[in-house]
Amino acid sequence: MIALPSPLLITSMAAALLAGFVCSTVGIFVVRMNLSSIGYCMSHAAFAGAAFGIMAAIDPLVGAVIFSLGTALLIGPLGEKAKLESNVIIGFLFSVTIALAFIFLSMIPGQAASGTALRILWGSIFAVTHQMVLLLLLLAAALLAFVILFYKEIVAVLFHRKLAEAAGVNTTVFYFAILFFTAAAVSLSLRLVGGLLVFALIVNPTSTAYQFFYDFKKIVVASPLVGMASCLAGFFLSLLTDFPVGASIVIVSAGGFAASIAVSPKRRRGGSAAS
Amino acid sequence: MSANTSDPAVVLRNIAAVYEGERVPAIYDINFTVKQGELVSIIGPNGAGKTTLLETINGLLAYTAGQGYVFGKDIAVHSRMLRKHIGYVIQNFDIDALAPFLARDVVMSGRVGAIGPLRFPRPSDWHVVRDKMELVGMSSFSSRPAGKLSGGEFQKLLLARALAQEPRLLLLDEPFSHLDISARRQMSELLSRVNRTQEVTMVMVSHDLQSVPAACSRVVVMDRGRIIMQGAREEMISSAAVASIFREGDT
Repeated sequence: MIALPSPLLITSMAAALLAGFVCSTVGIFVVRMNLSSIGYCMSHAAFAGAAFGIMAAIDPLVGAVIFSLGTALLIGPLGEKAKLESNVIIGFLFSVTIALAFIFLSMIPGQAASGTALRILWGSIFAVTHQMVLLLLLLAAALLAFVILFYKEIVAVLFHRKLAEAAGVNTTVFYFAILFFTAAAVSLSLRLVGGLLVFALIVNPTSTAYQFFYDFKKIVVASPLVGMASCLAGFFLSLLTDFPVGASIVIVSAGGFAASIAVSPKRRRGGSAAS
Repeated sequence: MSANTSDPAVVLRNIAAVYEGERVPAIYDINFTVKQGELVSIIGPNGAGKTTLLETINGLLAYTAGQGYVFGKDIAVHSRMLRKHIGYVIQNFDIDALAPFLARDVVMSGRVGAIGPLRFPRPSDWHVVRDKMELVGMSSFSSRPAGKLSGGEFQKLLLARALAQEPRLLLLDEPFSHLDISARRQMSELLSRVNRTQEVTMVMVSHDLQSVPAACSRVVVMDRGRIIMQGAREEMISSAAVASIFREGDT
């Protein structure tokens, strides 16, 4: 078991909880709007950005944010206007971002920097900084405000985008806001969960919550709770077993999803207890 | 919306619309006027351009030629504002059975534009939702998941959703699809009643001649992207030319 000094333990735990909150909150939109392929590309763009940051000797977090937001700005209009299929987006952008990440990694001089790069690949408790926690806190507050203030518009857009547009909602603004929040959540959670796995933290908790409720309000509450619980449990699993923290979090959240499928009242025959 | 009540509900002059990436217009030479309070049916075989015409009226699809007005306002300039006053019942779509939306929330989603941003629904908004669900005979389905409804129930829910917007103009795309004969008759009577009692102008699209409600003031026939004839319901139903278009559409 890893024995962490208590300030680092508290900082890392706070980061895990906040990462769980932001990722599983954006997951509500990503899962329902079938944006998984776009989000998946963003997480790898963020990884490429972090690798670029290390190579260029700037903060990897800055690189991750720039690359991830840049990808959101690029693939948002592509998905909107060019109506690219998700398979095309994954096939093209996923491979490009990963290729870029490997090129940047190969250009990082020295062993220490390579270690940093690898930690970004699978996440690390030790990579958590106060600045990252503060940024995650700000993002969590912004997301909470977005969901509360625009709840009725969010329900309309997630139910049927064209009908929401027909009712007078500017759905493009919401689409880009969701891409922006996804890019920010991915970038800020990258150092804790890792570039390869951060997207699972977006999809798994929400997918778990979707197994239990028909009422969207309950999903909005349950998804972040499942996300935070997964992160906390994964965090302690990592401390106990020395497994990488990102992998531990994802294993816990994936286990939760598998269990939810098995016990989901929505999938039970002969009436449903889901609400 | 400040529009003169004497303005026609819809005026389209020489309208053409081309989809992105297409060269051939989906609709062209469209000249079409709907008076306030009218119930007009647009019929035509699949691919005639009926849905395109509806989406040109509510501005979801920008027209590429001509001029269009709804309640006297230019569609090209005011489409988002106008859409708050235009209800739209989309062609029935398959909703995921596990979709996380209760029927009442779906109906409330129709009021989003009417409520406006940064305001939470008030008890009066929920009263409208209940009222419209009752109007379509769905009040007992309020807490049911939308994905668990039958095709006909879901169609009624979409109608309640559009009515919750309290629209002045209602566009309906194939409102009788997924309905059996008895449900079609009920829906037809319901639409006629809403048109009469709630003073909602209606433009309804159908590919089926028999679905045109008896209360319909006019039937417009479309084929291959343009309006080819229009007239009274009985006249259109008994027209040999119309019958021939539908026969061709079937082959």
